[in-house]
Amino acid sequence: MDLDALRRMAGVRARLGLPRTPARAVEREVPGEEIAPGLRYLEQSFAWPEAPEVFDLTFARLTQAHRGQLMHFDTETTGLAGGTGTRAFMIGVADWRDDRLRVRQLYMTTMAAETSMLRTFAGWVDDDTVLVSYNGKSYDAPLLATRFRLARITNPLVGLVHVDLLHPMRRRYRQVWENCRMQTAERHLLRIVREDDLPGSEAPRAWLDYLRGGSSTDLVRVAAHNLQDVRSLSALLVEAHGWAALDMASSPPGNEISTPARAG
Amino acid sequence: MAAYLKALRSTESDAALATHHDGQTLAQRLSAKYGDRVCSAFTVFGREGRFAPLPEDLPEGLATALRARGIEQLYSHQQEAWDAARAGRHVLVATPTASGKTLCYTLPVIASALESGARALYLFPTKALAQDQVAELLEINRAGDLGVKAFTFDGDTPGEARQAIRLHGDVVVSNPDMLHQAILPHHTKWAQFFESLRYIVIDEIHTYRGVFGSHLANVLRRLKRICAFYGVRPQFVLCSATIGNAVEHAQALIEDEVFAVTQSGAPSGDKHVLLWNPPVVNPDLGLRASARSQTNLIARVAIKAKMKTLVFAQSRLMVEVLTKYLKDVFDHDTRKPPRIRAYRGGYLPTERREVEREMRAGNVDGIVSTSALELGVDIGSLDAVVLNGYPGSIAATWQRFGRAGRRQQPSLGVLVASSAPLDQYLMRHPAFLTEASPEHARIQPDQPLILLDHIRCAAFELPFVDGDRFGPDDAGAYLQVLAESEVLHREGDRWEWIADSYPANAVSLRSVADGNFVVVDRTEGRQTIIAEVDYSAAALTLYEGAIHMVQSVPYQVEKLNWDGRKAYCTRTRVDYYTDAIDYTKLKELECFDGTRAGEGSARHGEVHVVRRVSGYKKIRYYTHENIGYGPVSLPDQELHTTAVWWQLPQTVLDEVFRSRQHALDGFLGAAYALHVAAVVAVMAEPRDLQKAVGSGDGGWSAQVDTAGRGQLRAADGGLASPDMLERFLPTVYLYDNFPGGVGLSEPLFVRARELVRSALETVRGCECKAGCPACVGPVLAADEHRQETPRALTVKVLELLGAEG
Repeated sequence: MDLDALRRMAGVRARLGLPRTPARAVEREVPGEEIAPGLRYLEQSFAWPEAPEVFDLTFARLTQAHRGQLMHFDTETTGLAGGTGTRAFMIGVADWRDDRLRVRQLYMTTMAAETSMLRTFAGWVDDDTVLVSYNGKSYDAPLLATRFRLARITNPLVGLVHVDLLHPMRRRYRQVWENCRMQTAERHLLRIVREDDLPGSEAPRAWLDYLRGGSSTDLVRVAAHNLQDVRSLSALLVEAHGWAALDMASSPPGNEISTPARAG
Repeated sequence: MAAYLKALRSTESDAALATHHDGQTLAQRLSAKYGDRVCSAFTVFGREGRFAPLPEDLPEGLATALRARGIEQLYSHQQEAWDAARAGRHVLVATPTASGKTLCYTLPVIASALESGARALYLFPTKALAQDQVAELLEINRAGDLGVKAFTFDGDTPGEARQAIRLHGDVVVSNPDMLHQAILPHHTKWAQFFESLRYIVIDEIHTYRGVFGSHLANVLRRLKRICAFYGVRPQFVLCSATIGNAVEHAQALIEDEVFAVTQSGAPSGDKHVLLWNPPVVNPDLGLRASARSQTNLIARVAIKAKMKTLVFAQSRLMVEVLTKYLKDVFDHDTRKPPRIRAYRGGYLPTERREVEREMRAGNVDGIVSTSALELGVDIGSLDAVVLNGYPGSIAATWQRFGRAGRRQQPSLGVLVASSAPLDQYLMRHPAFLTEASPEHARIQPDQPLILLDHIRCAAFELPFVDGDRFGPDDAGAYLQVLAESEVLHREGDRWEWIADSYPANAVSLRSVADGNFVVVDRTEGRQTIIAEVDYSAAALTLYEGAIHMVQSVPYQVEKLNWDGRKAYCTRTRVDYYTDAIDYTKLKELECFDGTRAGEGSARHGEVHVVRRVSGYKKIRYYTHENIGYGPVSLPDQELHTTAVWWQLPQTVLDEVFRSRQHALDGFLGAAYALHVAAVVAVMAEPRDLQKAVGSGDGGWSAQVDTAGRGQLRAADGGLASPDMLERFLPTVYLYDNFPGGVGLSEPLFVRARELVRSALETVRGCECKAGCPACVGPVLAADEHRQETPRALTVKVLELLGAEG
């Protein structure tokens, strides 16, 4: 097939954009250690003395979990379109280690690094791990399931207990807050207001720009955003743990089963 | 039956016809009484059934289920299909309507589900057929207590049911659009299903032709790619109605060899076919009675002779009109269940299901339908089929006739000609119908723009690696273009999807726009939805003032909310129905390239096609007099697409033709001949590539009128004479009937010279005298003796366009 003819034909329908402007000298530094080709690893640790040893999970219709079992996670993805064409390029995980909150982040600087990222992440999961997320049951977990399937790696998340904080937050604050997004919960319950936060919707573009040879500035901001997300997750769980003491059995029954964002 | 009811029956019926007749005697009686109207009568002889015992390797439970449903043996073609499927072959079953094609795939599918837990995917062109199929599977399942789970999976399947279907469905019955938009792009959710997928069944493959077929072939390429990812290589079982090239078409769709089963073992009675031309009612003007009145007559006679009768009409409107006429005869007692029912697209699904059920149960004596009943909807067997007008293809004619004939009884099929030139031509030359082979189904899956769409979707589903093929060719150039448009990212030898979009949503397999209109009945404060009308038909049937009929009950449209896709109507009692007046015109937007073509030019580029409904006629029932007009103001139906076109300068035309009318007739003939040549050249379906004749500047458009002459419409939609025009620049257009174009017309421009030459060869070499459907389009009997025949005028135009160069 003649390439120019094809371009022209495609152009009749889509009117392709102009060629990209040539790259100027840009910032290409990215944080972390390269633990496999194209795979970066970041680890930080935060002091947090008052975290409970055993978490009461009755707010999520579960029993309880030991602090060491908890794995708070959040992904940054290439978009919201869904299906096999959307991937996670960054996974952030927070867990409790010796009274400190350890945050580990993995991200890809090449597409080929996806398999090693998934394998590394899978290595962090144990049979008794309890997952904690915000909307992860219907978004992050199915998306990772798709990626594991495509990479032909057994999905380590299958069968794990998963606490999705979105649903208990909704049950409790639906009538109270303007919405139940994570940053709303963060603001009301944790009094955290983010500054210079890169909105989650900007993440796909930030990563793509870097992948295509552009600046790393916004990718660094995505990592900061992801870090804050998993830190807030752990704090929100501590908060929800406290509800049991506040109001035993006062929360009305709700629907625990989540519906997927896009059914297929 | 109570005595008074019997009495009622006999007064209602023609005494002579009160006894049960079969197709043969009725054909003879009709021929004897109306000899002058029967242009041709012939018999398609039936055949004895050929049977085979139930196969020995049929699982016991399945055999029990069949016996419980009264099936003690198979037809020979069912056994052939069983053997081939069990031997691991792809199978094509191309046997007539109602020959029991379903069992050809049901048996191997259920057998492998029982034996090894294998799964199957069924694809049907419509949701209705898919639902029928699941009902059928569930009945077999129940009869044998087999535990095989079958589900439909379509746009109506609720979200919460989808997960269960993916995990537990042994047979998933869906359609190509769902496969394309919902299953393949989410294949990881279907992983278990794919891992044990053994059979892919595609029924009614003759409907997948032209652009739709080309799309399906590419969806199947994607499906095979995904099957390979899950390590399976499923077998295809395909079914087709009778077309000229079923085997070739099946192989083109799946790009693999098929084992063909073409000899039906099902018994059938003789079929008596009449070609019926309405009588001349005005010899001076050559006017014939309407096809509608004749169809009505024949159907009435057949129903009175206690024959279950199916009438096919060409439009939804005609379905309602004919239903009303038959109901006036047979259903005037409203306390009794209706004997006459209408069936067409646009009814609510529940209503269609109910009509189907009633028909299967034998409670309906007459059905009036559109092409909706051409496909395999199960309505039981019938004794007579009457076609109100030629359906437009030989294949469809036989498919419709195939609806009649149960057991070994003789059946009747009547084709009633309309006044359209093509119908009248058939009446004069019946061999055109009886001797020509049915039409071929053509697809062109490697058409670049279609390939580009599907490679885009395929790359979303699984990444491409350098050297990967898609279809016969390397996908490299396409991947390159997709990377340049930033939907793919190349890294090493891999091409990965990177955009935040869901490409399958931007690719529609069918040309029809979505957005159905609902018709809401507001009579006496009601708010009831009584019908749905698809977008393409809305402008023609739901304008304010239109009489919209449902089971021949008239409603008047009072308000049309175009953007909200709603039409509000109330029940009315009027003695007329309405018919829209519409026309199409083209305007050139941009010329990409041009070249000399003989004395004129050939060009290709973008055009703007406008279809406008300018008003409507009120037509009184029975007399069919025109009792008034009404204005319509609706948004134009617009289409931006690509086209190829030919023009000749005015000076040349003035020199060569006696009058502008002659030139115009020549152009209309040339458009017909070029269209025929082009459809063959690019393997298109006629409906995908449209033809038009109009002014180069979009000022006027022309059509062949009922008198067989070119008729001009001015820009405002009024009729005009070519001699009144200041500039006369007739142009032949061939355009892609798809928004944005699908790339049919570009290759036509490249081959413009060859096309004109091949069109001229066809016209010159044709054995007809003045013109016929095989060359310049059907001509009227009167034109066969004209001095300058349409054919001669067409030859002149084609010669001027450089056919000799």
